[in-house]
Amino acid sequence: MSTAYAFARPQERQPTTAPRHVEIVTTRSQRRARPKSFYAVVAVGAVFALLLAQLLLSIVLSDGAYQISSLQAEQNQLARTEQDLAERLDLLASPQSLAQKAEALGMVMGSGSPAFLRLSDGAIIGTPVAASGVAGALGTDGGLVANSLLVAPLNPENPDSTSNPSGAPSQNPQGNSVASANGELPSPTTR
Amino acid sequence: MINTRSARRRLSVTVLTLLATIVIFSFKLIDIQVVRAAELNQQSFGKRSVAVPTYGVRGNIVDANGVLLASSVDRYDITASPKVMNALADPSNTHPIDPTAQIADLAAATGESVEDITAALSADPKSDFAYVHKLGTLEVLQAVKALKIPWVYAEVHPSRTYPNGAVAGNLVGFIGTDGPQAGMELDYESCLAAANGSSTYEKSKDGVRLPGSTVTNKEPVNGGTLALTINSDLQFYAQEQLAAQALKVGADWGTVMVVRVNDGHIMAAADYPSVDPNDVNGVPNTALGSLAFSTPYEPGSTFKPMTAAMAIDQGMANAGTKVIAPGRIYFPNGQYIKDVWAHNDLRLTLAGVLMYSSNTGISKFSDMMSQQTRYDYLTDFGIGVKTAVGFPGESAGSLPPISDWDQVTNYAVGFGQGVSATSAQMASVYQTLGNNGVRMPLTLVEGCTMPDGTVTDLPSDDGVQVVSENAADQTVLAMETVVTQGGLGKQLTIPGYRVAAKSGTAEVPENGVYSSDRVVSVAGLVPADNPQYVVIVTLGKPDIMKTSAAAAAPFKDIMTQVIKTFRVEPSTAATPETPIIW
Repeated sequence: MSTAYAFARPQERQPTTAPRHVEIVTTRSQRRARPKSFYAVVAVGAVFALLLAQLLLSIVLSDGAYQISSLQAEQNQLARTEQDLAERLDLLASPQSLAQKAEALGMVMGSGSPAFLRLSDGAIIGTPVAASGVAGALGTDGGLVANSLLVAPLNPENPDSTSNPSGAPSQNPQGNSVASANGELPSPTTR
Repeated sequence: MINTRSARRRLSVTVLTLLATIVIFSFKLIDIQVVRAAELNQQSFGKRSVAVPTYGVRGNIVDANGVLLASSVDRYDITASPKVMNALADPSNTHPIDPTAQIADLAAATGESVEDITAALSADPKSDFAYVHKLGTLEVLQAVKALKIPWVYAEVHPSRTYPNGAVAGNLVGFIGTDGPQAGMELDYESCLAAANGSSTYEKSKDGVRLPGSTVTNKEPVNGGTLALTINSDLQFYAQEQLAAQALKVGADWGTVMVVRVNDGHIMAAADYPSVDPNDVNGVPNTALGSLAFSTPYEPGSTFKPMTAAMAIDQGMANAGTKVIAPGRIYFPNGQYIKDVWAHNDLRLTLAGVLMYSSNTGISKFSDMMSQQTRYDYLTDFGIGVKTAVGFPGESAGSLPPISDWDQVTNYAVGFGQGVSATSAQMASVYQTLGNNGVRMPLTLVEGCTMPDGTVTDLPSDDGVQVVSENAADQTVLAMETVVTQGGLGKQLTIPGYRVAAKSGTAEVPENGVYSSDRVVSVAGLVPADNPQYVVIVTLGKPDIMKTSAAAAAPFKDIMTQVIKTFRVEPSTAATPETPIIW
């Protein structure tokens, strides 16, 4: 740069004028591209719908959980009851219990001469002899094959049913047994 | 310029702080999410989740007809928390509970005494756990639950019950606190045992299972069902008759074996005394197993048919072979063998030797064979060898080696002294004679059915031909004379049926010397023309009646019951005449 000429003249001040106000105006295409509130409403609405659906779903699910829980408890209870009843039945069906009850009803063992009736042709096989004994399988001592479970009363409403340790035939309070219908075998009335 | 510099400084501080924060956060994040993730997950899961043991059910034991002999049941232990009780009873509470009244209610519901419950609860007041009542039934559980006592809880305790009591209790065995102790419960543990499983679920605050949160860690496995060959009704009858007779004649012990001839299946194996598995303490320790398998004895004359069968099999004899039975047979050293009654020389056939139960007579037949031959036959009959049942505590009896046979033993093994066998072995001998000489493996278990339907432990059907069909049939024919012509005939006859039997009255050695005690037995087959069942009744050391007549009455009763139970048809042909003397 050359500095041969130095002007002592003060620099002239440029006239200052207020800058022209410029306004930014969106073009039509820009305006068109602006997001519409409709979409916002749809999006927010969808989110709320999802949340609501989830809430309802979990309400239904937990309701089901309570239902399952209570049904399981009920099932458990019923299974226990079933097992308890089956246990009592098995005990009542034990030979000791059956023999005791049969002999309390006055039943006796068959004779020592086994005989069979063949159903196909009605033939009698063997030599039938009428039972004469009064003693049953249990003898006079009321049974020697222990079953400690039978000590507890099996049938509390009917305590008499097992209270015949002698095994002797009990008197039938209802009187003589009668055939309940034609052709049927006479049978004692059992409780 | 100053402004710019301070701005820059502030910016860098911010950035550094941010970076530091990010680094710290990242470290923490990696620590939690990666390094300690498993541990933390487990901790949180442990707080939400509940582990529940799931019980597999131990298999049932049933008889041949499916009658339950042993079954698994749920019992309930009633427990309590002394800590909670004391906290609730604290007088500073707004509504303190009254433990005394609640303990009284609890005692009434469980059947325990107030003192016992109080003692259990005061043993450790700070404990969270004390037993109030163990193994309660459902009835007890319901009664306790109805009381709604907040400090009382219940837990399931799988248990075992034997609905038929002592019927086959000797065979079924029982379970103690440390698992199976005896019998089939012990022997077939692999079939019956169940494996417990476990599962966890997550629970909500009020204890309800969160849906979909159940995780099964291990499935419980149920045990298999073990089917025995026993007929429980016949077993009951046999036990009842045996016990009645044992009491009547004052016997120390007794056994009954009923075996099906064609396959060696045991229909009944009764012992006196025998255990009720529901109440193991009710009998002496010696009766906890099965005497029929565990107790060998010198069987005596019931051995003679075996000696007869081997002589016939060797071609040395038949039912009519004639021998002279002297009253005594002396040996060079002065020892002798004799019959139980004094007599001069008797002219007996083989049938007659069995009918009169002549020791000297049967010794003549022993003489026809070498010791080795007889030893081999006895082993083939199963003497000195455990039966195929392999019952826990089973004895093999004893058959001394030939080198130990002295002059007396040489003959004595021919009539069942100097040698011992269990009732099970003797039943197997008669099964062989009834089954045309074929010994089938003695069988107590029909099979084990696993929950998935597979069947294991099926019985073997490999028979051993011990003697020829002719030898077995001739022997059975000879044994019929014991019933048709023998002294016990009247007590052994069953109208319409041909019965083959042999009685035995054996001396019992004590400290090496034969004492006055006897083991009496009757063994036999029905029907003799086509044997289907073996019955053998043995009574040990009777006080009142020391002859085989003591065993004859229960033998006949049980055989009659066998005929009725299994519907054995009467014999059609009459017993052929078999000469006993000549």
